[in-house]
Amino acid sequence: MSFVEKILKGIGSNFEKGKPLEKLYPLYEALDTFILTPGKTTPKAPYIRDAVDLKRIMILVVLALIPATFMGILNTGYQILQAKDMAYDFGQALALGASKVIPIILVSYMAGGLWEVIFAVTRKHEINEGFLVTGILYALTLPPTIPLWQVAVGISFGVVFGKEIFGGTGMNVFNPALVARAFVFFAYPVSMSGSNAWVAVDGYTQATPLAVAAGTAKGSSVVEALNQAGFTLNNMFVGFIPGSIGETSALACIIGLAFLLITRVASWRTIAGCVLGLLTITSVFYLLRGPEKLAFFDLPPYWHLVMGGFAFGAVFMATDPVSSAATDTGRWIYGFFIGVLTGLIRVINPAYPEGMMLAILFMNAFAPLIDYFIVENHIKKRLARVTARKS
Amino acid sequence: MILASSQSGQVNPDFSIGDGSSVTADGLMSKMLLRTTADIFFKRTPMGTFQIRKGLDIKLKGQAAKEIKTLPLSKTIAVAPCDYKGLKLRLSIKEGDAVKVGSQIFQDKFHPEIRILSPVSGRVAMIIRGEKRALLRVIIETDGKQEQESFKKFNEHEILGLSQKDVTTYLLEGGLWPVIRQRPFSKIANHRNHPKAVFIHAMNTEPLALDVDVLLDKKEKEFQLGLDILKHLTKGEVHLCIHARASAKALTEAKRVQIQRFSGPHPAGNVSTHIQYVDPINKGDVVWYVEAQDVLRVASLFMNGAYASERVVAITGEGAKNRYYARTCLGAPLSALVEDGGVNGLRYISGSVLTGKDVGKEGFLGFYDSQVTVIPEGGKREFLGWLSAGFNKFTVSKTFASAFLPEREVSLNTDKNGSDRAIVLNNIFDKYVALDIMTFFLLRAVISGDIEEAEKLGILECDEEDFALCTFACPSKTDVGEIMRSGLDLIEKEG
Repeated sequence: MSFVEKILKGIGSNFEKGKPLEKLYPLYEALDTFILTPGKTTPKAPYIRDAVDLKRIMILVVLALIPATFMGILNTGYQILQAKDMAYDFGQALALGASKVIPIILVSYMAGGLWEVIFAVTRKHEINEGFLVTGILYALTLPPTIPLWQVAVGISFGVVFGKEIFGGTGMNVFNPALVARAFVFFAYPVSMSGSNAWVAVDGYTQATPLAVAAGTAKGSSVVEALNQAGFTLNNMFVGFIPGSIGETSALACIIGLAFLLITRVASWRTIAGCVLGLLTITSVFYLLRGPEKLAFFDLPPYWHLVMGGFAFGAVFMATDPVSSAATDTGRWIYGFFIGVLTGLIRVINPAYPEGMMLAILFMNAFAPLIDYFIVENHIKKRLARVTARKS
Repeated sequence: MILASSQSGQVNPDFSIGDGSSVTADGLMSKMLLRTTADIFFKRTPMGTFQIRKGLDIKLKGQAAKEIKTLPLSKTIAVAPCDYKGLKLRLSIKEGDAVKVGSQIFQDKFHPEIRILSPVSGRVAMIIRGEKRALLRVIIETDGKQEQESFKKFNEHEILGLSQKDVTTYLLEGGLWPVIRQRPFSKIANHRNHPKAVFIHAMNTEPLALDVDVLLDKKEKEFQLGLDILKHLTKGEVHLCIHARASAKALTEAKRVQIQRFSGPHPAGNVSTHIQYVDPINKGDVVWYVEAQDVLRVASLFMNGAYASERVVAITGEGAKNRYYARTCLGAPLSALVEDGGVNGLRYISGSVLTGKDVGKEGFLGFYDSQVTVIPEGGKREFLGWLSAGFNKFTVSKTFASAFLPEREVSLNTDKNGSDRAIVLNNIFDKYVALDIMTFFLLRAVISGDIEEAEKLGILECDEEDFALCTFACPSKTDVGEIMRSGLDLIEKEG
């Protein structure tokens, strides 16, 4: 037995049955299997098992989020420096950004983790690693100016009402991180939208590219309006624009995407569906463009891919296997309609400049229905086989 | 009599795609691409071969050398009721009784004509019972004489003229009825049923499995006789399911049966796979199946008038010091088959790593098993395992570096490699199931106890073993096979 194993055993003895900390056993179990692999063996066939477990999968998703987190921190700092008319300095931007973003991530993890532990203890199951992903996903969809108590309230709502009341991990209909975000979005609209929210400097207003595009007057060029506001395709791609912490950089999302696709953790079908859907609907708008139409119609479809939370949502949110369709065909349909709805909400709906969150939540609700039709079709084919044989 | 052609030429190769079910836009495209490329670059498989594309061959270390060594009769053997699924067995002997080869040990409570016979002559040494006095096994001490109970003998000509009733009677009498199992439910067949077909399971694709070619080498005559006997059991066809590469003449030149060739990764060799591709089970159908090795035993019973208790077993796995094909006796102790070189911490499995049974070093060979696998025990705890690059870990996902290394033989132990979790990755299963089944949805139907939905989704065409690879690959460590088994049991009980 190794040294670490001995120490862990020592700690663990306090959590055994009949000991004072018995109730908190899931907490110890989580720590124990975090430091050392569980070391359980197979009781019955199959006697061999693949090396991968859910911990590994979740850690890989967290790793895939590192570029987006890093760019989010850097950009938050960059926006502050710009608002204060200070010269850009990498170190300073990083430090400033970290001072805003790290507390948000920590609060999200602590509040979300607390609920995980409470439910694990009362339901007597092991702590699921899923919250490692939910906690950071949620934090990255928030604006950098959000008050920390709202962060905590949001994630609490997300974990409890987005996941636990459905029966916990694997049972949830909606993506818990998005439920959390939707909750703060509707409960505290002032912190979550408008032009005050995006740059962490008091009183500084700066609209997001989507807001600029939506606000462009009929008949004028939306691309020009965006460029004038400083939003070129280039800097929207790289991510030095105001927006939610982790969502501004399409580049960081693409790096994360590459990682998820190489490790095959995310479904490429969902993501391809999202991109196809968004390009389809915005192409339709683009074809219909004209002086009488909304200026937003005029935006070339590919611009949409790098704007707002689309890239982040498509790569990290829509691909959540539990809340998305479970069939391969279903994932195409599910992704496609997320893209279509996002485009519709962005361009046509004047109330919300960003549609990704609502589109994913909406399609989360429809994912079981999509699967239902595919499964029914499968059953029908099986039935046809029977009747064919009898006749 | 119609002599069925041994060419299964009527099989349309277009039918042989891994799944007939969800044809998606991308699926269709990639399949078409794949097939054209395959046609250009690889030698095409013989006409009428069912090419299985889904599944996985786990290249485990510890292949047995393909030569049969005859072992001396072991001092003890065991007959275990738990091997005979679907029977409720009653003891016919007591401790101390003398038995011959072919003496009755058990008989079924509901069908007393189904008998389980002793494979050796000697003395009943011990009757081992478990909780609630449940019979675990009967241990027989051998005397080495192998005295035989005698049964009726037939010559080749007589065999061709037998009726279904004759064959059933003699198989029951000769104790070989239990070699005939049925689908659905994978239990011992009810001899009053009329199966729509009989499948001969003459290929294995499980890790390190026994090569049927070696087993049947120079056994053409016996094997053909066995097939002819079993042919009487059905008004339908006898399907001999063999590997596309099978070379034993007993298989490739078998007559009066339909030869069905299969190729591809495991589970290409599973009974369910064969049945679904050749003649799928619909509600109300019953199909019988027999292991190739048992076909030889059936032939031996009819030809020699004696209970055949010989068994060829592949001794495999890296834990076994000598790996070879052993010609031994049914119910032989693993200790007589395996030499472990005194190493501790090994797992002794009667059967394969995917579907076998952990019987322990002191355990005995199962009734249907033709393989023993010995692998190292796992359970070593690793520091920050989730963070390791994992060059030495084996995974079918792409989550460890080893997935990007060239394919090679792997050494796997019994470690579960994780804790039980709810299913999160819900679309990984279908890759490993060669049947037209939507595994995740079937699983969900069974978990929620929705029998009707499970039947609609085709659970009756499946067996626990068809999902062994799903369990192997599941990151949430879900025992998919066990859940499916519980669903089948429920249907059987209520059905």
